Amino acid sequence: MSDTVTRTYERFPLARRVEHLIMLLSFTTLALTGLPQKFPAADLSIAFVYILGGIENLRRIHHFAAIVMMLGTAWHILVFGYMGYVRRARLSMLPSFQDAKDAWQAFLYNIGRSKAPPQMGRYTFEEKMEYWAFAWGAIIMGATGFMMWNPISTVKFLPGEVIPAAKAAHGGEALLAVLAIIIWHMYGVHIKRFNKAMWTGKMSEAEMLHEHPLELADIKAGIADRPLDPNTLRKRQRVYFPVAAVLALFMLGGVYGFVNAEKTALTTTERHVPTVEVFVPQTPTPAPTQTPTVPPTETSLPTSTSEAQPTSVSTPATPASSLTWDNAIGALLQAKCGTCHGAAATAGLNLSTYADAIKGSNSGPVIIPGDAANSLIVQKQQAGGHPGQLTPDEIEQLIEWINAGALEK
Amino acid sequence: MSNWFRANRSQLGLAGLALGVLLLLAVMTLSATPAAAAPQLQGDKPSDDTCLTCHQQEGMNAQFGGQPVPLTINADKFSASVHGTEKIACVDCHTNITGFPHPEVTASSPRDFSLEMYSTCQKCHSEQYQKTLDSVHQQALAAGNTNAAVCTDCHNPHTQTRLTDKVTGKLLLGARLAVPQTCAKCHSTIYDTYKQSVHGAALTEEGNQYVPTCIDCHGVHNIQNPTTASFRNSTPALCAKCHTNETLMKQFGISTNVLNTYVADFHGTTVQMFEKNYPDQPTNKPVCTDCHGVHDIMRPDNPQAGIAFKKNLLVKCQQCHPNATTNTFTDAWLSHYEPSPQVFPLVYFVNLFYKIFIPAVLGGMLVFVLSDVYRRFIARGTHGKGATQE
Repeated sequence: MSDTVTRTYERFPLARRVEHLIMLLSFTTLALTGLPQKFPAADLSIAFVYILGGIENLRRIHHFAAIVMMLGTAWHILVFGYMGYVRRARLSMLPSFQDAKDAWQAFLYNIGRSKAPPQMGRYTFEEKMEYWAFAWGAIIMGATGFMMWNPISTVKFLPGEVIPAAKAAHGGEALLAVLAIIIWHMYGVHIKRFNKAMWTGKMSEAEMLHEHPLELADIKAGIADRPLDPNTLRKRQRVYFPVAAVLALFMLGGVYGFVNAEKTALTTTERHVPTVEVFVPQTPTPAPTQTPTVPPTETSLPTSTSEAQPTSVSTPATPASSLTWDNAIGALLQAKCGTCHGAAATAGLNLSTYADAIKGSNSGPVIIPGDAANSLIVQKQQAGGHPGQLTPDEIEQLIEWINAGALEK
Repeated sequence: MSNWFRANRSQLGLAGLALGVLLLLAVMTLSATPAAAAPQLQGDKPSDDTCLTCHQQEGMNAQFGGQPVPLTINADKFSASVHGTEKIACVDCHTNITGFPHPEVTASSPRDFSLEMYSTCQKCHSEQYQKTLDSVHQQALAAGNTNAAVCTDCHNPHTQTRLTDKVTGKLLLGARLAVPQTCAKCHSTIYDTYKQSVHGAALTEEGNQYVPTCIDCHGVHNIQNPTTASFRNSTPALCAKCHTNETLMKQFGISTNVLNTYVADFHGTTVQMFEKNYPDQPTNKPVCTDCHGVHDIMRPDNPQAGIAFKKNLLVKCQQCHPNATTNTFTDAWLSHYEPSPQVFPLVYFVNLFYKIFIPAVLGGMLVFVLSDVYRRFIARGTHGKGATQE
């Protein structure tokens, strides 16, 4: 009994274990970075994407893992060729009808309808199923991944609809693969019995007897792994290595093309940004509520109204005798009174022009030439407190002008 | 209440006395004001009638920095305005005016005057005023652009009628119609574009109240800069506000699945994730407006530019996929359709296949695994022979 525990057999050489590790890492990475893209609305997805530095970063990681898996697959194909052609090893992974029978018997055994479990060889039907499921998955995922990675190249040969169909298949297959790994692989290798062979590379005789009795029998009979004579080995290697090199180049080229066939869909293209003129006012200044009529004032230009208004001095420095409407008084009254007694003509008084001013207000003339004391305009101003109050100096000017005859020119 | 009244009778008496004295003082002050001022003043506060004595004269003007400013107030329009009906007096806003002559206006231009005045609005409209401080207009103003809109540019305080329901605060029916015209005062070319769009035409030509006006997308008062990445990233949610509203969309016979179908596809998935994690970072993936337009949104079946036509859609695709030259490429995007046996059947059947295939495979695996569990861990004793001992 102790013999069968201590005696071990090599199950996986280091190269195969490394291969497994590469697939394990790339598969897990692909699953972790892929599922959030399939379920983008889930909080967990969003949190995970955030941890990985954003959706673009997540995609970069996903693509990197995909490249690793493609290279791993290419390597596996080369190893498969070597085993088949050079070593002439038995293609023990190929599925057969026996596997179906084994599976059925195992099931019957499990439910107590069969006395004995199936006797299996190097690879059990469970392992074969997982292997071929992985192969099927790799083909589907690779093909649909290519379509999504290179949609423009794809639609040169296929209808555009295959792109969203590829996305649907990629997502569906991914979900299937992840759940199958959880149910089948986890249970079969970790839960049912923790199988360390893929890490240690070895299996005890007891385990072999239990899980791979037919292989154990072959090993014991010396027919499992027949040694090759060095000459034959070398001869076959001389044939295979060049073929493998070409095949490797071909596959590397394929991976390169896969990744680099086109760029526009994935790399950052400069986004087309439409530009519009933002500030295009309908009127020069948005504020005015009505079209203003411009009264002539001391600052306005002569062209502003129909009545020509010569430029006038703003300070009443003109000698008494020379005061006229045109050279001083008109401008003064316009500036001080024009707001109400301009075009608005409050109380009927319009002081815009000489003629209107002389005409007076609703209460009659306000300027009586030669008689400032009886002119209403002077009386109002002298009383004080009138809106648009003149200064004492200005009232003096006004009186002087009226007393001098209230001349226009 | 009556107890309180009795207990505080002495205080009330005192208060009454004080009130009486104050009234007396007020009357004395009134009679002391110079009677010469033609229009009567009430205390220090001129009434609207006082102001209107002069200011309803047609053609009244002043000059600020050489530019004319109309001073005439249309009394009818003012009393019909919301300020008029709410009895807001002229001097409630023109606070520095207590009589005539008015204090000198220091503003160097009419615009300058508006800029000096508009902060008065916050006395009553504090909430709206605070919001404007966050707006793109205020930012532009702070950066020295005096053309940037302030309160009075959109709401003429002398004529603005009521816009919102007094109780609910909701925008009144009819108020929406005027919104684009208000914005057009400064953004006239955008308005011209908007008028041609499916939304704008419905509003301006049919008077349809249910289509978006400017403020539905840009907001009111706290209008944000629409050229930022965060504004762009929030576009799908913005459009979805209306386009996922069943009752609203039913009127127009438009699908409410547009957001779902967008998020389910490449572009939308990315933008959705992007928006959740980095709302203010730019992404080059398209949002609604990249294909449908911004102010020039058309019906998809518009014969000239509608993107339901592949040749029009391809132009949109080429903005980001310049190498896409065939119409077949446009089918890579499901155009908001949900795959069915009639539309995008390949996608439909792939989905259907996995809907059956996944449970079938996993179910088969589970049956086997459970049978193994049963043998190993449950039926161990009853079978009489542990499997591991084999």
